[in-house]
Amino acid sequence: MTHLSSFILCLTGFAALAVAMDRPQHDLFGRSLPALATAALRVGGAASLLGALGLLVAWQGWALGLVMFSGHTSLGAGIVHGALIVRQRWVARSN
Amino acid sequence: MKTDQEARPDGRGLRQSMSDLHTWVGLLLGWVLYAMFLTGTVSYFKDELSQWMRPELPAQSGVPDQAVVAQRVADELVALVPGSPQWSLRLPDARNNSVYAFWRTAGTAPGQRGFGEGNFDPATGQTVSSRATLGGDFFYRFHFQFHYMPVVWGRWIAGIAAMFMLVAIVSGVITHKKIFVDFFTFRWGKGQRSWLDAHNALSVFGLPFHAMITYTGLVTLMALYMPWGQQVGIKTPAERQQFNAELSAFIQPGKPSGEAAPLASIEDMVRHAQERWGRDGVGRVTATHPGDAAARVAVARGDGGRVSMSPQYLEFEGTTGKLLAVHEGVGPAAETRGVLYALHLGRFSDTVTRWLYFLVSLAGTAMVGTGLVMWTVKRRQKLPDPARPHIGFHVVERLNIASIAGLSVAMAAFLWANRLLPETLADRANWEIHSFFIVWALTLLHGVLRPAKKAWVEQLWLAAALLALLPVLNAATTHRPLWRSLAEGDWVFVGMDLMCWALAALHAVLAVRTLRHRAKLRPARKPAPKTVNEPAGGAVLREG
Repeated sequence: MTHLSSFILCLTGFAALAVAMDRPQHDLFGRSLPALATAALRVGGAASLLGALGLLVAWQGWALGLVMFSGHTSLGAGIVHGALIVRQRWVARSN
Repeated sequence: MKTDQEARPDGRGLRQSMSDLHTWVGLLLGWVLYAMFLTGTVSYFKDELSQWMRPELPAQSGVPDQAVVAQRVADELVALVPGSPQWSLRLPDARNNSVYAFWRTAGTAPGQRGFGEGNFDPATGQTVSSRATLGGDFFYRFHFQFHYMPVVWGRWIAGIAAMFMLVAIVSGVITHKKIFVDFFTFRWGKGQRSWLDAHNALSVFGLPFHAMITYTGLVTLMALYMPWGQQVGIKTPAERQQFNAELSAFIQPGKPSGEAAPLASIEDMVRHAQERWGRDGVGRVTATHPGDAAARVAVARGDGGRVSMSPQYLEFEGTTGKLLAVHEGVGPAAETRGVLYALHLGRFSDTVTRWLYFLVSLAGTAMVGTGLVMWTVKRRQKLPDPARPHIGFHVVERLNIASIAGLSVAMAAFLWANRLLPETLADRANWEIHSFFIVWALTLLHGVLRPAKKAWVEQLWLAAALLALLPVLNAATTHRPLWRSLAEGDWVFVGMDLMCWALAALHAVLAVRTLRHRAKLRPARKPAPKTVNEPAGGAVLREG
């Protein structure tokens, strides 16, 4: 269960960080988001990642917690990246 | 390496030389690294793979009482190798349904140390009556010592490759200056640019893991690579003994007394350890001079749930079962090594963490693979005549085919050999391994003889077919087809069948994409029929 919640936090965290970046904003919305929204996404994303770290470390201690965190972040980032690619392809194909 | 830094503005020069370093270091041992990465990746499931490769051993519904099993196999060993100065057995746990034991053989000539090994059935204590196979241990051993060569050579090659990998990681990070700006960037269908984006994504997402795994890999064999400190610091036999005790729970045999005396109850000793570490928490039982009055028994803790390979063990007097010593901690230097070692092996993992290890390692494998392919993608456009490339390009291209697609074919063939070779075949376990290398050599031959693109596609399809049909072969040759595994909740066999199909699908996708690659790009090009790749967006590696 802790694995699942940490993974979801990592996934949403990286999704927020991705949307806080300029290139994905243009791909998704066709324009840059307001600076405030970008900043909020950035802070929210980082907080989400830290939350996952906190959960795992509280559960398993620093040694195992950090190892698991590293795995969840890699997988989370990979899935967000994959989703962006799929969406980009989908848009390109339907145009 | 060529340096033309004077001609460039500052900063650019460093990155360019790092880029050159990254390219050539990556290429030189890239093939070895790819094989190490892939075999290492599957080794995270080596125990499950071993279970699958010994289908005669029934699935384990729960971990049997380790104390009872230890006594059972110890009795068998006393009968099987009487007078052995040392034996050691790994008890069954959640991932192992057999007992692996090895022993020193008695009466070998001085200076010669004979060893024997075997797998035992926890339920009966007898040698398991399964087909002879090295199981998942083949990939595990190949990962750091290869095959057909002295073990020490293999380990040195693995060490040099790991050192190159570290250089490639550091130089790669320096080269890739837009590491954060490009974090979620992938430009589709842009030839070299796309390859680079993929390579970057695979590297950056797992960067902490890749750096960790490479560094800790070197640590696992540090005593071989850098023995000098140890040679200077440790002189007397007593110091050596103390040193060994910090690193390993294999107690070393001292002098036998010559007086015969049977071992006390191993079961009681293991019970003692279970009280301390939990019912399934015992890993290994080692006895020295069993049957002699000077016998010693060490009961060591398992690897589960603790991020350290440092030994923790209880030492008993063999003939009375009296607890002599409790070893539960080591010095800070030894503990650092223990933690780094454990991080590399990941044996402490629960199932989810093991899958994370597997997936991120697979990304690492793909990172090395995309790097190797990129070397050819980048250079193909610059060839004066792509139909007749120069010899260096030719060699790299063909080696890439055999070491990437060919390795998949060979690894699948190893599993096929496990199911197809007759059980009565002499030296059967070795023939499984020979099959792996014969098939691998054939893929190289095929890669050399066929046009490059056809060779890629054909080998990827072959790997996909071998993997997809493996569950069918398993159903036909064993009594454990998928429907039965599902009905009985035999998750090792279910997982293996499903994983084969997942990997088959991955290879099929790669085959289709490779096949479509040229055909898709051609119409987009204006008249320049000879070039095969779309020009990439600028001089990529220089800025990337």
